[in-house]
Amino acid sequence: MPEVFSLSQSPITSHSFNADRSQLAVSLNSNDAQILTRQGNEWVPEVTLSEHDKLITSIDWAPSSNRIVTCSQDRNAYVWQEQPDPETGRLVWKPTLVLLRINRAATYVKWSPREDKFAVASGARAIAICSFDPENNWWVSKLLKKPIRSTVLSVDWHPNNVLLAAGSADMKARVFSAYIKEVDERPSPTVWGSKLPFNTICGEYASPAGGWVHTVGFSPSGDVLAFASHDSSINIVYPGGPAIYNIRMPTLPLVSLTWTAEDTIVAAGHDCRPLVFSGSEAGWQEAGTLDDATSKSAESRSAFGGNSSVGRLKAGAFATFRDADSRGQSGISGQTSASGDTKLHTIHQNTITNVRPYEYSGAGVVSKVSTSGVDGNLVIWDVNAVSALTSRLGAAHLR
Amino acid sequence: MDTAFRKINIDIYDEDVLQDSELYEADPRDPAEVLEDAKQRAGMVRSLLAKNDIPAALTVVLENAPYGPNVDDAKARILVVDIMTLQTLLTILNTTKSADIPGVIKSLSLDTQDTLMKYLYKGMAMPGWGDVSGSVLLGWHEKLTEVAGVGCIVRTMTDRRIV
Amino acid sequence: MSNVLRPYLAAVRSTLTAALTLDNFASQVVERHNLPEVEAGTSKEVLLNPLTISRNENERVLIEPSVNSIRLSISIKQADEIERILCNKFTRFMMQRAESFIVLRRKPVPGYDISFLITNTHTETMLKHKIVDFIIQFMEEVDKEISEMKLSLNARARIVAESYLTALQG
Repeated sequence: MPEVFSLSQSPITSHSFNADRSQLAVSLNSNDAQILTRQGNEWVPEVTLSEHDKLITSIDWAPSSNRIVTCSQDRNAYVWQEQPDPETGRLVWKPTLVLLRINRAATYVKWSPREDKFAVASGARAIAICSFDPENNWWVSKLLKKPIRSTVLSVDWHPNNVLLAAGSADMKARVFSAYIKEVDERPSPTVWGSKLPFNTICGEYASPAGGWVHTVGFSPSGDVLAFASHDSSINIVYPGGPAIYNIRMPTLPLVSLTWTAEDTIVAAGHDCRPLVFSGSEAGWQEAGTLDDATSKSAESRSAFGGNSSVGRLKAGAFATFRDADSRGQSGISGQTSASGDTKLHTIHQNTITNVRPYEYSGAGVVSKVSTSGVDGNLVIWDVNAVSALTSRLGAAHLR
Repeated sequence: MDTAFRKINIDIYDEDVLQDSELYEADPRDPAEVLEDAKQRAGMVRSLLAKNDIPAALTVVLENAPYGPNVDDAKARILVVDIMTLQTLLTILNTTKSADIPGVIKSLSLDTQDTLMKYLYKGMAMPGWGDVSGSVLLGWHEKLTEVAGVGCIVRTMTDRRIV
Repeated sequence: MSNVLRPYLAAVRSTLTAALTLDNFASQVVERHNLPEVEAGTSKEVLLNPLTISRNENERVLIEPSVNSIRLSISIKQADEIERILCNKFTRFMMQRAESFIVLRRKPVPGYDISFLITNTHTETMLKHKIVDFIIQFMEEVDKEISEMKLSLNARARIVAESYLTALQG
């Protein structure tokens, strides 16, 4: 069974665990980030990181260097580091400003695999690649600009620490080189190319039916790229063999994905449940879902299009108010029926905005993933507990 | 004092702004060719309908359907093609018995289902025109959503290759 | 009646569900702003194709989706002059109290009688399928409400006329 933690009533915009998964950084749809510590089955708020003055859009916690980076719609990013306080000697989180040089909202942030760089996606039609400048004790950035034409929605690093994939609202997923001379060693050739100066475009892909590219991800080996766009499809790109596999789904669009092995992807989004895709160079298909919605609810509701879709509006809150209006009843009678149809069948009650690897069981193989969403829940799923999709329609929305 | 300059939208002069024409790849075919093609299809559909082969007829209309907003010089001709394709399609939709609809839809390819959805919305956007009947389109829409899911509607919204 | 209405409402329901896939999206034109893109209309790529669902010429729904907001406009059936007046009064009454309805827009889109503006904050704070239910319920009720008002208006007119004429008679 998946572990469910209800962290708040408000949306979780982003979440990220530390190395041993004992602490968690979240942003609860506000200007502050919080660090929570696990105590048994509870997450207890410990520290509040407040420096931003607009909504925090993304958080990433670098596991080995134990640094947190946050970015926000106020156009800034901060790197937080645990340092002893000069007066008390206790460890406190200290922010370092990042010179992003962008003039629109920062939308997504991600540490590179070696944790010496991070990439900040932004609405300024640019991606800032940031590296540390020890002389001035701040983070400086170099901008990837061309040929991005719209807000960048997500980024992902190639395991070689140089290549960067980006998905943006101009309906394209691109692979860039984010090679920085001062930081990186010369990378060895990959399937994406061999000569890689900064801002080289190694690939540009789009989904056949268009749609903003919400999420991108390199496979553990870095040889395959997956991206999901707003046309309710997921695309898997093999740059070597010119093959792009496009899987169209009958459900709502996906907004986040993560590779769990070289042949498996877990993705989730507006459909409120994580889907599993599996395949290889020969082809890809939907393998099922991690959220076995049907086993939990014994009562089966009629599928969408059944005759109930109009009639059932007479129930619940509406009946309460109508009775109050036409008959002057105080409305206690209506309360019992109201709770029935407010809960969705899925574990997440609203859009899932983040899917991240939680536990590894080998090199590049993820055994558990964590998801967080607009409903304020954090759920940890066992990747191997895949159940078949029972209906082609999302169980969640159209009952 | 002249204050009209205050209302000038300067953001459209930003060179990074995406234009309509950059949002999709234009239909590479020549309008005349498309028109010829549409006429040919209409003929094929008629003969297929006579044989009562509705899935095949639908596939003929929907595959490689003309798309894209109307470019000025070819506008009139494109419009003719558009209307002709829509008309042919509506004939098929009207002649299908409602009990057969789910079976017909299931036999279509994913691409064709998406294109059919686009045409259903197009038909609904121009009511009172020709023999477009709301209830027929709504019936098809309902059945198509059952088979292809809301994802199909999402693709109708995102796909800039408007029919 | 409701049998004919059902596929229409089902189509609105599924289209609205498909459109209510909103994200928090800061403006890429105005610095440090976050506004409903469907109203601002400044970035073409974040607007999606508007869709119309119609039952007949007079009853249609226009759904204009974008990345962080959707606008839904309803054209309500108006068969005669009285219905037109009633509909106008009714929607005016609602729209003057728009903030109580949260998702209601203060002005309808040209060509429609009433418009709703649903943004990502609404889908974050309220249950998405309940917003859909609300719109559907509104559409169901508005026709009924107007025909009921029309009936009671006629009944009242008859009573007034009767008592007036009886007075003359006497």
